[in-house]
Amino acid sequence: MNFAIDLLSLVMVISTSVGAVLILFAYTPALGGWTLPQMLVLLGVFYIVQGVSEFVFIPSFERFMEHVRLGTLDFVLLKPVSSQFLVSVRHLKSSNLGQVVLGAAVVGFGLARLEALSPAAVAAFAVALLCGLVLVYALLIVLSTVAFWLVRVENLLAVYQAFLDAGRFPVDIYPGWLRITMSSVLPIGIAITVPAQAVAGRLDSVGLATIVAVAAAAWLFARWFWRFGLRSYTGASA
Amino acid sequence: MIRAYRALLIAGFQHAAQYRVSLFLYVFFSLLRPIIFLAAWAAVVAARGGSVGSFGVPDFAAYYIGVTIVLHLSTSWNAYEFEFQIRQGRLSPLLLRPLHPIHYAVVENIVWKVFTAGALIPAIVAIALTFSARFPAEPWHYLLFVPSLLLAAALRFVFGWVVSSSAFWITRMSALNTFSERIGFIFAGQIAPLALLPGPLQAIAYALPYAYMLGVPVDILRGATTLEQSLVLMGGQALWLAAAYAVLQVVWRAGLRQYSAVGA
Repeated sequence: MNFAIDLLSLVMVISTSVGAVLILFAYTPALGGWTLPQMLVLLGVFYIVQGVSEFVFIPSFERFMEHVRLGTLDFVLLKPVSSQFLVSVRHLKSSNLGQVVLGAAVVGFGLARLEALSPAAVAAFAVALLCGLVLVYALLIVLSTVAFWLVRVENLLAVYQAFLDAGRFPVDIYPGWLRITMSSVLPIGIAITVPAQAVAGRLDSVGLATIVAVAAAAWLFARWFWRFGLRSYTGASA
Repeated sequence: MIRAYRALLIAGFQHAAQYRVSLFLYVFFSLLRPIIFLAAWAAVVAARGGSVGSFGVPDFAAYYIGVTIVLHLSTSWNAYEFEFQIRQGRLSPLLLRPLHPIHYAVVENIVWKVFTAGALIPAIVAIALTFSARFPAEPWHYLLFVPSLLLAAALRFVFGWVVSSSAFWITRMSALNTFSERIGFIFAGQIAPLALLPGPLQAIAYALPYAYMLGVPVDILRGATTLEQSLVLMGGQALWLAAAYAVLQVVWRAGLRQYSAVGA
């Protein structure tokens, strides 16, 4: 029953977001160079990225912060697997999986109105989406790692959620400071815009190579930062 | 009653002072949403080369600054807390106190408003300068804006309580809240100024209560209405407020009879 209610809310949220895009496009055939079908693909990617992070990363990291606060992270550290892996995927909130599915549906809805994609574009989309998710994951683990020093940082996840909301439009329409923030320190903008660009035929091989390189760098940095932060952890028994 | 309010206000400010960071983030949150849609409309204006209807970028800037101000001053999130209180049975101790629970909510809201205004104002000025916002309002617009804002805030508050009161029957009413909020997202004037809602959507918007909580006071503030229009719209606000209040009386009484803390 709760699942059905959550799903219904989700359908409501996504359909009104699509409605918002339709209202904007009632006045223009293209927004910042994006056509309506391309924009729908972008909106779908937005919900896929948000859905994945709220399905697994956010619930896991929220619990992780609580473990740090209570000193119970010891039990995680004792297990014979990578602690970073374990805290990242330990808790799932399955109702948010629906967001991923509905996001994919919106992507499909947009794609059906675009000309058929070449296999290269499909591959580029898959790679870029994966890189986008890696970027978001790296950002979230860095934000969470700050808990080792500051302990109470639930608010940092709220910063992520506030900026994520801006991902519903292509990052290039925003004023300078917001665009730059969303493409650098908080790479939510490029994590969503670039995969959509791949489908919209707006991503060249240089752009694709760049996001792969950036995602790899972010991954390595997040890994290093996690280990660095872990050294500052003082648990209940340490 | 005045003494009770004084005590509650003092306690409220002490409580709020503990949450300075959350407060800063809240201000940031409440600004980002309007900026997102302002940027989107600026892109539409750029694509059309000049304006959308009677709106240029400075008009959209004025509109979304108005949205931020009205949203900020009229927000109350007691609905969320109310579900929590019902679900956890926390309403029981509140009902034992001599004051109606709504008074605690009123005080909480006043405290937040005063606390956050200090951070909001500089941010709004920055947006106004970036997009060179244009307010063609006459002095009487500002004069009418005050009662219009109060009506909007009261309507939003009472309407929120009506929706929340469904928690007496449905313990998962946050879904209903989402539902109401998303209808408001379209029809209150967040996505687009009311004047730009296409075709029948505009008529629906003026028939539903949501526009009277947001779009109407914003249009008065930015000077987009004539005197007659302003008065008619404010009449609409008053009507909806009276209707919502009447419904709340009925629902609240019926709900209280229904209430039993979950697990009790």
